[in-house]
Amino acid sequence: MKKLGKKNEKIAYLYILPLLVLSFALVYYCIIDTAFVSFTDWDGMSDSFQFVGLKNYTKMLADGVFWKSVTNNIIFFVGTVFIQALLGFILAVFLKRKLFGSNVFKAIYFLPIAMATSIITAIFKIIMDPTNGTLNQFLRAIHLGGLAQSWLGDPKIALISVIVVNIFQWMGFSMITYYAGLMALPDDIYEAAKIDGAGFWRTTFSVTFPMLKGTTNVLIILGIVGSLKTFDLVKLLTGGGPGRATTVMNTYLYEKAFNDFNAGGAASIGVAILIIAMIMSFLQIKLGKED
Amino acid sequence: MKLKKKMRSVLPTYAVLIFFALIWILPLIIALTKSFTINGFGNYAYVLNYEKINYFRVISNSLFIGVVTAVTVTVITALAAFAFSKMHFRGQKIIYGAMLACLAVPVAAVTSPLFATIKNLGMLDTHFGVIIPLIAFNSPMMLLMLKNYFDTIPDELLESVRIDGGSSFCIWRQFMIPLSVPMIANVLILTFIYSWNDYLVPLLVMRSEENYPVTLAAQYFMSSTYQSPVDVARIYAVMIMLALPSILVYLVSQKFLVSGITSGSVKG
Repeated sequence: MKKLGKKNEKIAYLYILPLLVLSFALVYYCIIDTAFVSFTDWDGMSDSFQFVGLKNYTKMLADGVFWKSVTNNIIFFVGTVFIQALLGFILAVFLKRKLFGSNVFKAIYFLPIAMATSIITAIFKIIMDPTNGTLNQFLRAIHLGGLAQSWLGDPKIALISVIVVNIFQWMGFSMITYYAGLMALPDDIYEAAKIDGAGFWRTTFSVTFPMLKGTTNVLIILGIVGSLKTFDLVKLLTGGGPGRATTVMNTYLYEKAFNDFNAGGAASIGVAILIIAMIMSFLQIKLGKED
Repeated sequence: MKLKKKMRSVLPTYAVLIFFALIWILPLIIALTKSFTINGFGNYAYVLNYEKINYFRVISNSLFIGVVTAVTVTVITALAAFAFSKMHFRGQKIIYGAMLACLAVPVAAVTSPLFATIKNLGMLDTHFGVIIPLIAFNSPMMLLMLKNYFDTIPDELLESVRIDGGSSFCIWRQFMIPLSVPMIANVLILTFIYSWNDYLVPLLVMRSEENYPVTLAAQYFMSSTYQSPVDVARIYAVMIMLALPSILVYLVSQKFLVSGITSGSVKG
């Protein structure tokens, strides 16, 4: 297909100029400055700093808390993505039947995505409160008080609680993505499976699910991206604690930058995040094209 | 007989759908009922009359940040997407690739340089100190969505306008934009919701309570104690009131929001 022609060449820069000034410039300035700062001992506030070579990186790689935060990011991603994908897929399959009220269900599952994490975490923090929380009060009321927990205060389960809240907020996204994928599948595959005598669940999991492999791959990449972006959920639910039980890369970076005034150390974590993020951007685009 | 069979297949579906819908709506129901258990509407009056954090001020702060960010992002990405989709120029691929490389870059990874930049620009504790980073970091995704959409509009259509002597801006304004209304709406609403819900950028930038957007106001109330049932009822009322505008926006714009979020992620 022919484009508008070479005549337009110069004027194109006028069209991209506002974007370059308002987005490109600031984003890349921040990225390059982060890389620069990672080689210094800058405190993030003053004007003076010294170059320290690779010291921030060697420190980071030897820092147990850094690796703990990386591990938590991975657990967070795995725990979220697979449960979310499974749940989202099953609900999408049911919603595809377009029964009366389907749109109401869809709207309910999707609602938390439109709400601020700041507000969702506030509500869950009170619900999960060990003494006054509705969750424990309910368990005690049905004589299952033994199951009552310090949901966000027990290092053994705090990360799971954080993951549960994250699934609550984002499951609707997997659901709607699978739903869109299902609508695009041709109907005759179901007919063929029916003729072969396959039951509903059999068809769903051995025919439909494999056909949506592209969707699943996209959800996995976006799950990694989501895990890399996670900040407010953890900061507001647990602050990364108890101890280091729920610390993720972003909250650790924030702590280094604004509590320890170690912008250099924070920047080295930032560079690690940026490298993974850029690989993920690339994969996201590549997978999208294949889809 | 047939009806019975149909019922048998429909009932389990409804059971599952309703079960999960109940779980998903439960936190809001709990917050709503608890907010009325003690003092009833008194808790809502408390929110509206709270002096240090003025409710309407908070909402208008978030509204201002959300609207200015959404409109600016939509305009600059719609202009750029037009150039990337329908024109030829040197460096086109590199610049577009560089923008897309930032798709997954989290603001949190670059906090210190970002904070220093806003400080050096003299924008700490101002609305534009929040708006500028939000524009910068929301644009790559929106550019991708609009460019993909513009790619589906046939070049021949635009070519005919050009032959008739229309300028490129004329083509943009009179053809590209009207033909892309659904995607423009997606981008507007998505950027608005993302900006409205953002917590990190205002956390870095805002200092005085009168400038707090919704997300910071919610945490201001969370930092007070919530050990007595009276406090809990009050805080829930605060959260309901603060969540209300975004729930309303969601109900009105649900169609665009849902299609926007899926199109932004699935296609590359």
